[in-house]
Amino acid sequence: MSESNVVGQWVPATGAGDIVTGAARYCPDIDLPGLLTGKLLYSPHARARIRKLDVSAARQIPGVFAVLTQADIPGENNYLYSQADQPLLAIDEVRFQGDAVAAVAALDEATADAALRAIQVEYEVLDGIFDPLVAMKAGADQLVEGEDNIIMNQVYRTGEVEAALASADVIVENTYRTQWAEHAFLETEGGVALVDEEGVVTVYSSCQAPHRDRMQIARTLAMPESMVRVITPYIGGAFGGKDEAHVQMHAALLAVAAGRPVRLIRGRRESILTHVKRHPIIIHCITAATREGRLLAVKARAIADAGPYHNATHEVMNKFGEFIGGPYSVQNLEVETIAVRTNNPIGGAFRGFGAPQAAFVYESQMDDLARKLEIDPLELRLLNGVETGTKMYTGVVVREGQAMKASLRKAAEKIGWEKRDQCERQPAPHLRRGWGMATILKGSGMGRGLGDHAGVVLEMHRDGSVVLLSGAADMGQGIITILAQMAADRLGVPMSSVRAVRADTSRTPDAGSSCASRQCMVSGNAVLAAANSIRDSLLSVAAGKTKISRDRLDLRDGRLQVDSEPHALTIEELARRALFWGYPLHAESKYHFEYPADVPAGDYRFSQEVFQFCTQIAQVLVDVETGQVTVERLIAVHDAGKMINPGGVYGQIEGGCAQGIGYALTEELIVNEGRTLNPSLENYVIPMALDIPEMEMDVLEIPEPVGAPLGAKGIAESPIIPTAPAIRNAILDAIGKPLYQLPMSAERVLTALDG
Amino acid sequence: MADRDIQMNVNGLALKVNSGPGRTLLSALREDLGLIGAKDGCSQGDCGACVVLLDGQAVNSCMVLAPQAQGRDILTVEGLAENGVLHPLQRAFGETWAFQCGFCTPGMLMSCYALLSSNDEPSREEILTAISGNFCRCTGYQAVVKAVQQAAAEIRASSSGDGEQGRAPA
Ligand code: FES
Ligand code: FES
Repeated sequence: MSESNVVGQWVPATGAGDIVTGAARYCPDIDLPGLLTGKLLYSPHARARIRKLDVSAARQIPGVFAVLTQADIPGENNYLYSQADQPLLAIDEVRFQGDAVAAVAALDEATADAALRAIQVEYEVLDGIFDPLVAMKAGADQLVEGEDNIIMNQVYRTGEVEAALASADVIVENTYRTQWAEHAFLETEGGVALVDEEGVVTVYSSCQAPHRDRMQIARTLAMPESMVRVITPYIGGAFGGKDEAHVQMHAALLAVAAGRPVRLIRGRRESILTHVKRHPIIIHCITAATREGRLLAVKARAIADAGPYHNATHEVMNKFGEFIGGPYSVQNLEVETIAVRTNNPIGGAFRGFGAPQAAFVYESQMDDLARKLEIDPLELRLLNGVETGTKMYTGVVVREGQAMKASLRKAAEKIGWEKRDQCERQPAPHLRRGWGMATILKGSGMGRGLGDHAGVVLEMHRDGSVVLLSGAADMGQGIITILAQMAADRLGVPMSSVRAVRADTSRTPDAGSSCASRQCMVSGNAVLAAANSIRDSLLSVAAGKTKISRDRLDLRDGRLQVDSEPHALTIEELARRALFWGYPLHAESKYHFEYPADVPAGDYRFSQEVFQFCTQIAQVLVDVETGQVTVERLIAVHDAGKMINPGGVYGQIEGGCAQGIGYALTEELIVNEGRTLNPSLENYVIPMALDIPEMEMDVLEIPEPVGAPLGAKGIAESPIIPTAPAIRNAILDAIGKPLYQLPMSAERVLTALDG
Repeated sequence: MADRDIQMNVNGLALKVNSGPGRTLLSALREDLGLIGAKDGCSQGDCGACVVLLDGQAVNSCMVLAPQAQGRDILTVEGLAENGVLHPLQRAFGETWAFQCGFCTPGMLMSCYALLSSNDEPSREEILTAISGNFCRCTGYQAVVKAVQQAAAEIRASSSGDGEQGRAPA
């Protein structure tokens, strides 16, 4: 078969035409007759008891159509990402600055604001719990009365850690600290809800998991799921921060109460104050090795600040523990993951689920170890790297691991690693230049023991045009584009013939959440299965008509191909004949990612089995007078398996690198006693166009052998993971001083220089 | 305060919006004229999602009061294509994946369009400077640079007479 002219090509994203003309509609752009503005009233305190809540004056204001408190919620008053512990509207206590106490819907924004002002709340301010190290002590003030503040305490052990530590030639032992980081998706959270003519509560939702949103909205409205419909319009970014539901829940409640459509969009400040953040974690880590640099053991203890509610804390910390050994062959490993409740912002999902924090630790440890042993950092990594067939400390055997070392070598070659000392290390008296690398792995998919499936419906019409129905939310990562490419490829039609419908629970089957780099693999497999069944019909018709055996036939460029040569029969003609003779051109498929039924005792739970490997190398310039760090070059070599769309893959890489530079150097939510002090894009500093170096990217296309459609295995999370440790190691190389805390602000660099 | 009519020339059409003095140009465009291309990413001048051209200058429309636009020319992303033919910048943005979620794109396109109006062969540095107020959380701005350079080359080729699809900026 000749090379595909759809798969592997830089096809523009589905919807690109709408995006560049301004026609694409996101939640804030959806307008409806009678549309009301929804708003929420939040707690001004990090922790307080609600003594009195009086909304009667607000209800009297002309133009106010609904004012809701917890008493007005017909069904369950909570979110349900994992545990049902976060109320939609506070019950008798507020536990962080993002807890809402009331919701209003009014004719316009000014009236909604007036209603919020008219709500009377009397709080009894309580002493907050802000330090996880204090909160985890026995006898500490309990955030939820009668419940331990420690909501997770898990130890995973493999091998003989203590014996390995005792026998080691060299030990590196450090304590690391990471910060709260903000997703800053450009479109804030929002939802638009209405009750349609059939009584179905229809919600436009800026989200990652439309079917889970449907479930959550139904249970809070006390309605059957069959009476709730969730539609994803265009979505302005998510990065994990829209995995759990948000204000689409309140929009639905308000629309039902008001009997009119309601649009509820968070303002930027409100968004930063309320949604989940990347967990700050304090990590103590010991890495042991032989004189030659062979890793013997890793022992880590991580304490995460979870904020007041569970949200994705277990998922995040599970991934932290799963990846704390890095892409290395370590036989003895112990990791203790602890998460503690506080009245700080909630920790939750953010691109990489704990893997970025883990990588900052293990890759910093590797460079500290390399210095101690006087071994080149590249050599140390190559010496310990996993390969295809390596059994990892989690118990998982790496199915395809060539990219671990290949990405290291390629990145080193691109930057000229061997010759770096020929570059000027001190270009000016106050400047120091340095190079640092980081190499990581990150799994794609939900992981063992967690259902990982996706459905899809595909239909070809008599003119050869195709409709693709997938419930996978596209937040900009481009999933529906690559699913359409896969379908077009199998059916031999151009991309323009495939209409991919954005997720809509009344039309598109459940594909689960767009998270964990899973959709390309899981929904991709579902698309291939559905497309292959339609393809089968077309080829049966073609074989019958031409009397040529099936194995010589193919579909491509809108035509039948015989021995790779175009034939007179078009796909359109085949489709017409197929439908005439009753062959099915409609296919539904459900793909379930196969994990072992019985995970061996002693293996890490919830492990992923397909890995994205990558290496990044940073060249930095440190101003030793100001502490300012400039990233001069960033090399990024990634493996995504087979690329379905290089535009999308390179896009994920450059975007992840940019986020990684921010995470490394400037991004930090400043939280004092539970209050965020910098809730704006002005004061939460994210690199802008002039702050980003030219990124030199390369993609290794090593097809994944199992479970990956056409060899593709996802790319979304890995790009952000190695950036911070690569920059950290480059700073170490430049100034000879290690840093152990993110972000590596100018101030912290100066402190390190003084140390 | 009494509302008053404001007359402005939006994408070549003389249009009226009704506005009190506190009203921003962004809300007048989005709410009165249904021009939802320009986005609100922060409401306070930090993100550039709301960039439109005011008399040819790229401005954050959330920071411009509607009355300041009285009698002036406004160009929004909806006005870039002519008779259904995309401007080379719009096409290049799609072809190079210069966006992912696309929420920053209308503003980004307008900043780039303003740049190309005065500079038909911008360097990487000049492009980055032109978009330095346009926040994008999805890309690393690199694909945007590529898109602008591709569009600039196309525009140069068409204005030198050997291309036909391009349409030079006004
Ligand atoms: S909305 Fe105008 S600059 Fe952000
Ligand atoms: S493409 Fe999403 S913010 Fe720029």
